[in-house]
Amino acid sequence: MNLSFFDQFASPQLLGIPLILLSLLFPTLLLPSPGGRWITNRLSTLQLWFLQLITKQLMTPLNKPGHKWALILSSLMVFLLLTNLLGLLPYTFTPTTQLSMNMALAFPLWLATLLTGLRNQPSISLGHLLPEGTPTPLIPALILIETTSLLIRPLALGVRLTANLTAGHLLIQLISTATMALLPIMPTISILTASILLLLTILEVAVAMIQAYVFVLLLSLYLQENI
Amino acid sequence: MPQLNPNPWFLIMLASWAIFLLLMQPKLLSFTPTNSPPNKTKTTPNPTPWTWPWT
Repeated sequence: MNLSFFDQFASPQLLGIPLILLSLLFPTLLLPSPGGRWITNRLSTLQLWFLQLITKQLMTPLNKPGHKWALILSSLMVFLLLTNLLGLLPYTFTPTTQLSMNMALAFPLWLATLLTGLRNQPSISLGHLLPEGTPTPLIPALILIETTSLLIRPLALGVRLTANLTAGHLLIQLISTATMALLPIMPTISILTASILLLLTILEVAVAMIQAYVFVLLLSLYLQENI
Repeated sequence: MPQLNPNPWFLIMLASWAIFLLLMQPKLLSFTPTNSPPNKTKTTPNPTPWTWPWT
């Protein structure tokens, strides 16, 4: 069968065994569990510093009840960051290119923020559907628009991460195919394409980190409205 | 687009949540910070203004 450029995103299988489990497990393997010592090795110290940095960054805008979400948001951040970055290595598979995984993460977490708000402070949560100071004739239309934008949030969260990573990987594959195809024909153009590939890879590293951060940041923002 | 193939969707959902909840979170929870986080006191500071001498 002829391969198309999209076949890199098919969930990998070997003799019927899904290999996506391996790509999901790898981030955990990169995080050493610290022993019982106060002063650990450099890697554990750096990880602790990084974990504290993202926890502080995510928890500062939240009020006290919101701090219950510290573990799930910071661990989600680390998980997505590591999965995205590991996928940039050659011959690896990025599970976050799968819409199934991103929707599976986005939808329950968004629903959790929504239900927290509706359960604990229903009037305030519903009040977010109408911005302050809207003129009276616009109220029905604006409530419909705000409800739509509320309901589309999990879809947007999932699809944003999927689309960004898929597009990045697709671009990398396209430009590297062009580089290899041009190498025997026009070597100088091939070198130019290779430099474009280098810049693109740097961009993809940035996009991998930013998209993980944006996912978790938006969830914390939805939480701020509801808690 | 192979991502839209519904066949492994349930497996991927289960696997990602299971690995996230059962493996990532305990690993990250075992990192103990060495400083305990201080609770912010709600007092607003009342600074008494003073004039800087020009000389």
